[in-house]
Amino acid sequence: MMVCVLSSFRSPASMAMRQTPLTCSGHTRPVVDLAFSGITPYGYFLISACKDGKPMLRQGDTGDWIGTFLGHKGAVWGATLNKEATKAATAAADFTAKVWDAVTGDEVLTLAHKHIVKSVNFTEDSTCLLTGGNDKVLRIYDLGKPEAEPLEIAGHTSAIKKALWCNNDQQILSAADDRTVRLWDKNTKEAVKTLAFDASVSSMEYIPDGEILVITYGRTIAFYNANSLDLIKAVDAPASIHSASLHPEKDFFVAGGDDFKLYKYDYTTKEEMESYKGHFGPIHCVRFSPDGELYASGSEDGTLRLWQTAVGKTYGLWKCVLPGEFT
Amino acid sequence: MSSGMKTPVSVLRLPRGPEPNSRGFDPTSPRFIALCPTTLPSSSSSSGSADEEEQRLRAELRERFLRTLLLMTGKRVRFDMHEHVRVHARFGASDIDVLNLQVCDLETPLGVQREALLRSQDVIACSFEV
Repeated sequence: MMVCVLSSFRSPASMAMRQTPLTCSGHTRPVVDLAFSGITPYGYFLISACKDGKPMLRQGDTGDWIGTFLGHKGAVWGATLNKEATKAATAAADFTAKVWDAVTGDEVLTLAHKHIVKSVNFTEDSTCLLTGGNDKVLRIYDLGKPEAEPLEIAGHTSAIKKALWCNNDQQILSAADDRTVRLWDKNTKEAVKTLAFDASVSSMEYIPDGEILVITYGRTIAFYNANSLDLIKAVDAPASIHSASLHPEKDFFVAGGDDFKLYKYDYTTKEEMESYKGHFGPIHCVRFSPDGELYASGSEDGTLRLWQTAVGKTYGLWKCVLPGEFT
Repeated sequence: MSSGMKTPVSVLRLPRGPEPNSRGFDPTSPRFIALCPTTLPSSSSSSGSADEEEQRLRAELRERFLRTLLLMTGKRVRFDMHEHVRVHARFGASDIDVLNLQVCDLETPLGVQREALLRSQDVIACSFEV
């Protein structure tokens, strides 16, 4: 355990501290997606999707493993939790999406698809599940009537990478390999707006509070108004970016990609504030925790890492050691 | 220590990793106890006695399955697997989640494998003489 000892008294805020990422091991293949739950009476939780087919649930603030969802027969490409962390959903290469009880780890529902499923997303009230994948069709399942046929929305001309509910679950945002992001009306099933890009969209994050959409493509991290799909601002990173996340208070955002590093930017000024090395492979996904105190990254190296937003603060497993204290 | 040097942030311990022989979801955790037994409402029958009956039948089937595994121990078993694979081996044990089956003297087209693990998800059926 490291102890900081100073010859003269200094407050923690003025001590320059080096970020100590917490590594969560357990997966044996690349981690391709991760999601946090909301804040529950038991803290918040984190689910990770992995090519080893075994998505894992972890305690969000410590990274402690809680359980592994066993059942998929192929790589898991997408994973999500509902707000209360009572349900989980996963999307896999075995052509199924599964719904799980996130307390017991039991498989609750298997939803057969016609191709690899890439993305799953619950509505706010957890009654419906949105799926999207390589068959290019968005599907909405009523979890109260799992036997019923899902509502289908077609239009994308290539595999869907990510599908998210937005605007009070009345609309759907989808990103596909056809280099478009589309905004759909759930009821009319029509595309309300389409954004076209020169490159494949690598990730998408929807921030309901403030209606912001974070999109990454090439080396760019772009922020859009989620209602109008108007561009707010865009930033170019030093390397190809696979995922980015905006802090709940919208003062920072973090991004990671091909060069194995995590970048932290000031959202207002677009200035790069810090970059962190640590992963041994490209970063596939990064997300802020619901309280904004940490962010988690998933990598090709098979690990998840937790990073502090305020380096040196006492939180979770990180401990601020004041001058004179010995552990 | 010079004023320009950065000290790494201390950590209390590392995050706990997965347990090797369990899928987790500790039933003694406060969250499990508070939110179970039924976290999700069942979409089928609402009558309590129908649930109890189903529970009883499930428990019976589970017990039969476990007793079959016990009976199979040490016996020569025929495993019918995917891709029209059929092999014989002496059954040893299964792991707690019945993900893997430990066998000895597995007869394969490439010869006899003294010790082997069969993936349960690859096995369609197994048969043996009682």
